[in-house]
Amino acid sequence: MNALSVQKVSKVYNKTVQALRDITFEIREGELFGLVGPDGAGKSTLFNILTTLLLPDSGDIKILDMDLIADYKAVRQVIGYLPGTFSLYPDLSVKENLDFFAVMYKSDIEANMDLIRPIWRQIEPFSKRKAGKLSGGMKQKLALCCALIHRPRILFLDEPTTGVDPVSRKEFWEILQAIRTQGITVLVSTPYMDEATLCDRIALIQNGSILGIDTPEAIMKHFRGSLYTFRSADIFSLLNALKQCPLQCNYYPYGEHCHIAFYEDMEKAMPQFLQFLEEQHQEHGEITAIQPSIEDCFIEIVKMNSHE
Amino acid sequence: MILKKEFIHIFRDRITLLLVLAMPVALVLLFGFTISTDIHNASIAVLDHAKDTQSQNFIQKLSSSNYFQIVSYPSTEAEIDFQFKENNIKLAIIIPQNFESQLEKEHSATIQIIDDVSDLNIASILNNYVRSVTQDFQNEYNQHITSADAFSITTKMEYNSNMESVYMFVPGIITLIMILVTALMSSITLAREKETGTMRMLFITPVNKIHIVIGKVIPYMIISFLSTIVIIIISVFVFKMPLNGSILFLLLLCIIFMLTAASFGMLISTISTTQLDAMMITMMGLFLPTVLLSGFLFPLNSMPMIFQVLANVFPAKWFILAIKDVMIKGSGFFDVWPYLTILFGMAVVFISISLKMLDKRN
Repeated sequence: MNALSVQKVSKVYNKTVQALRDITFEIREGELFGLVGPDGAGKSTLFNILTTLLLPDSGDIKILDMDLIADYKAVRQVIGYLPGTFSLYPDLSVKENLDFFAVMYKSDIEANMDLIRPIWRQIEPFSKRKAGKLSGGMKQKLALCCALIHRPRILFLDEPTTGVDPVSRKEFWEILQAIRTQGITVLVSTPYMDEATLCDRIALIQNGSILGIDTPEAIMKHFRGSLYTFRSADIFSLLNALKQCPLQCNYYPYGEHCHIAFYEDMEKAMPQFLQFLEEQHQEHGEITAIQPSIEDCFIEIVKMNSHE
Repeated sequence: MILKKEFIHIFRDRITLLLVLAMPVALVLLFGFTISTDIHNASIAVLDHAKDTQSQNFIQKLSSSNYFQIVSYPSTEAEIDFQFKENNIKLAIIIPQNFESQLEKEHSATIQIIDDVSDLNIASILNNYVRSVTQDFQNEYNQHITSADAFSITTKMEYNSNMESVYMFVPGIITLIMILVTALMSSITLAREKETGTMRMLFITPVNKIHIVIGKVIPYMIISFLSTIVIIIISVFVFKMPLNGSILFLLLLCIIFMLTAASFGMLISTISTTQLDAMMITMMGLFLPTVLLSGFLFPLNSMPMIFQVLANVFPAKWFILAIKDVMIKGSGFFDVWPYLTILFGMAVVFISISLKMLDKRN
């Protein structure tokens, strides 16, 4: 059985903004599914629809074989939601927040303690502190406890690690892996590409459309170009110069480096490229071939889609 | 649980709590005492038609109290009018002819009080003072004689003799408090949950939306109800406002108005997305019309027709009419049921619109 099945879901805001366009995907039970895309791609709209807060304009959604729109009350009992912005009560203490959501779900904290204990143990020392006074990472852990307190079967996490420090991010993903071993299906969105590789499968979303769904490994394997990286003294002038490049290529800044993917026979293309750089008076460091990261793949897929 | 949580919110937010609790007391005392400024040694005139021993005693009594300063002893009523017009006096007292003999033979006498209608609030306070002096005078007189011969003095008031709008400030303040605490606070608390995103968290729980909203509004209704009781206690015991109607019926009336105010707050919160929105809409859409158009500060019948018509739309006017009747005239349900029906009807309409709006999922 699929934990979640989304078929041709569309949503238009104010008749002009197409937030989602024929979104179709399925998540298997117990899967850790990642939704990867830049800000404004439609991730939060999709989460609002999946958490019964928003009605789609068209399309079908089934959560654990229940119709999301018709059976929304039953659906609410089986889903947990961690929104992108901190959405607990800042003036209530950590414990009071947890108690409150437990009562709202008519759930027993003790009975579900085994599920949240690894997370709860970390925030328990602060249980009397006001939630608003917690650090960013602690806030997210508390929010996760609150989202899990009724032992949902599907957990939705909307950018849970945005604005969280790298150490806490790593911890948070370890927690997600642990949650999944408890048989809870997890749908997590993130703008961080490195996190995408931690998912079982990912969907790339851009401008309200899903560009591709696969395992991170498969996506990386399907990189079509030949990827190279090199340093440049003046990356801005380099990027400008590359506009004139006659070769089939896709280039973009990547940290301090420039990444360039060629869609040519490299034996012929590389000498041409070196010559081109020389003609353009571009100084550059060593050009090395590299394995594409998930981000490179995402950029390629976005590029391909914009050409089609 | 939502109820309990809301109370925690309220008690944690000390400043708001202080405001909500202290404001009614402060307002009622402020209004009460500002209207009683200059109340010591108020200038009055006494027209003594009797000129006998008891009338002299009575005048003595008046001037020995530090409430009044008798600035003139006119001999005709025309002179009193003149004094009023010149703004020399705030109040005039007319002692009838044969005051003493009336007291002795009929055991009763009528003293006439003429108020300055231009300042109803001061007039009402002064009236009370005259009554209390009269009461003292009566008690002293009655001490010397057997109870069979006890007499009473009735005061008769001219100008504004039915006391209408004299005690406007108490119903007015009750109205304001109810609107501030119930409508404003409940619309703000709902908007706050929207603003912080916690409303979404509440809405995806299996708990019914209407239960969530009711749970959030009830604490403010309780607080404003307590405030109302405090106001009534202060007005009756400190400012000696009459409470002629049934206290239970008065409280029922307050509860119904509270419901109307709360439903208005709910409606506002469904259309506003931030606390600021909620505040502005409540202030402009409810609070200001209440102050201006309820007849509380500015008499309605002296307003242009359009405002008189507009005033009917806002619940405050009906509530003030009803509460005044109950407190001053001692009216019961059968006298004020039209007002109650209007208030209740408004609440039903507002609540059903808000429920419709809440039910939409977008």
